[in-house]
Amino acid sequence: MSTPERRAEIAVGVSFLITAAAAVGLTVVYWRGGQPQLEGILLAVAFGGLAYGFVTWGQKLMPPGPVVEERHIGPSSAAEVAELDDDIDRGVVGRRTFIVRTLTIAGGALGVAALFPIRSLGPKPGNALTTTPWRAGLRLVTDDGSPVLAAEVPLDGLVTVFPEGHPGSADGQAVLVRVRPEQLHPVPGRETWSPDGLIVYSKVCTHAGCPVGLYQSDNHTLLCPCHQSAFDVLDRARPVFGPAAVALPQLPIRLDGDGYLRAQGDFSDPVGPAFWSRK
Amino acid sequence: MRKSWTGRRWAAFTLGPAIVAVAGVWFVPVAGASLAPQVTRSNDVAHRWLADCAVCHGSDGRGSDRAPSLAGAGPALVDYELSTGRMPLPPTASSTTKTRRHRPAYTPAQQRALAAYVVGLTGAGGEAIPTVDVEQADLAAGGEQFRLQCAACHAWAGDGGALLHREAPDLHEATPVQIAEAVRTGPGTMPAFGRAALDDAQLNAVVAYVRYLDHPKDRGGQPLWHLGPMAEGAVAVILGIGLLLLVTVWIGEREPTP
Repeated sequence: MSTPERRAEIAVGVSFLITAAAAVGLTVVYWRGGQPQLEGILLAVAFGGLAYGFVTWGQKLMPPGPVVEERHIGPSSAAEVAELDDDIDRGVVGRRTFIVRTLTIAGGALGVAALFPIRSLGPKPGNALTTTPWRAGLRLVTDDGSPVLAAEVPLDGLVTVFPEGHPGSADGQAVLVRVRPEQLHPVPGRETWSPDGLIVYSKVCTHAGCPVGLYQSDNHTLLCPCHQSAFDVLDRARPVFGPAAVALPQLPIRLDGDGYLRAQGDFSDPVGPAFWSRK
Repeated sequence: MRKSWTGRRWAAFTLGPAIVAVAGVWFVPVAGASLAPQVTRSNDVAHRWLADCAVCHGSDGRGSDRAPSLAGAGPALVDYELSTGRMPLPPTASSTTKTRRHRPAYTPAQQRALAAYVVGLTGAGGEAIPTVDVEQADLAAGGEQFRLQCAACHAWAGDGGALLHREAPDLHEATPVQIAEAVRTGPGTMPAFGRAALDDAQLNAVVAYVRYLDHPKDRGGQPLWHLGPMAEGAVAVILGIGLLLLVTVWIGEREPTP
């Protein structure tokens, strides 16, 4: 066996062993709680080692081309066949066993690492998709937790509100706008949900879940920045443009004696994009 | 011979731009003046109201089929529209003309006099012209509020953006008072942000941050014109694909056949 070939074989084997070590490291880091940057680096090292090994294998150890096939395929002579049989019997054929074994180790370690995310499944989501932190009596607060006074919301005003005690809540976030009361024509059952023209809708777009944070006050349209879905604030946030097909859920609110706004209950519908079992 | 040709070319190179510059100085103000509203020489605010505003908003300020009523608009909104040159509209405007920032038609004193005059016509109400203090403002808190409440429309760098059949203007030329007036009153398409959305300290912080966006410290290095993820992604794709090409060349390389 020539020396450069032996060197290449060792390089390939070492890079496969590096892959195995990185995959083991990835498993350990994931097990101990995870650290995204480190996990990314280890995954990159694992696949980089695999790639380097394969490329070096191909470049240095595979027979070089171009290979020209003889026009007439001559069968091996009886002597050659006998010699090969001899070689097989003596175990000389299969000199790449070192590389094949290290590749098996690398593949096995990566396979084991891929099994570990199964541990992260569960618990079952229950009714988390259909409910939010909003409850009857909770005050509307801003992102810093201060309660919203109705008198501090001007006409055509816009405030992003959260349920009291849950500022920053992802599924509880909502937009409060004030329109002229005479412009609102609530659907039956929602007559008491928007006192003094103050009306609240979920801020989570029903198309892909982006925050519906853009309000065109001159035509009372809430706009989603991601895909330009538009919702008519005056008509139960019905979608009027773009890919959203479902109206934004409305939050029933009331004015309390001190001029603060309080929820009458949870949203009218599950918030956010449609999901498989949505009623 | 050669020298004279060089001289002639030299003359063409210097005289050409000079002529263009002179023509520009000569004609541009004339063209601008023909679009600008006819500003009366009289200092009489009532006269100015009747000459420039009443044709659309009505002599009593209660609006017409061409323009909305100014009842309850308040001094802040009137001052915003006048000081940004959005109002008065040029005489060629129609009801569908979009208001844009222009050089203001009046002096600041005239703007405030008109704002007071409108209040006198239509009654009190609306926002007073806010006082802004950016010296004590918390820039970081302003940035947070800007990203929460302003960036959706005006874009993260304050360059403005597209809405549905409308657009949000860029903010770089806005003065502190104009920013505060716009936030509180919500001119045009913009919603109003009352004290429930932003208290006065937060408003000062947002104003300070919007002014900061006009000359931001780009700590990430080359800002790529503040275009955001599109430009940054394009650079990543070009660099990344270039790197992948080099790797491809390496993979394809073979040891020379001995």
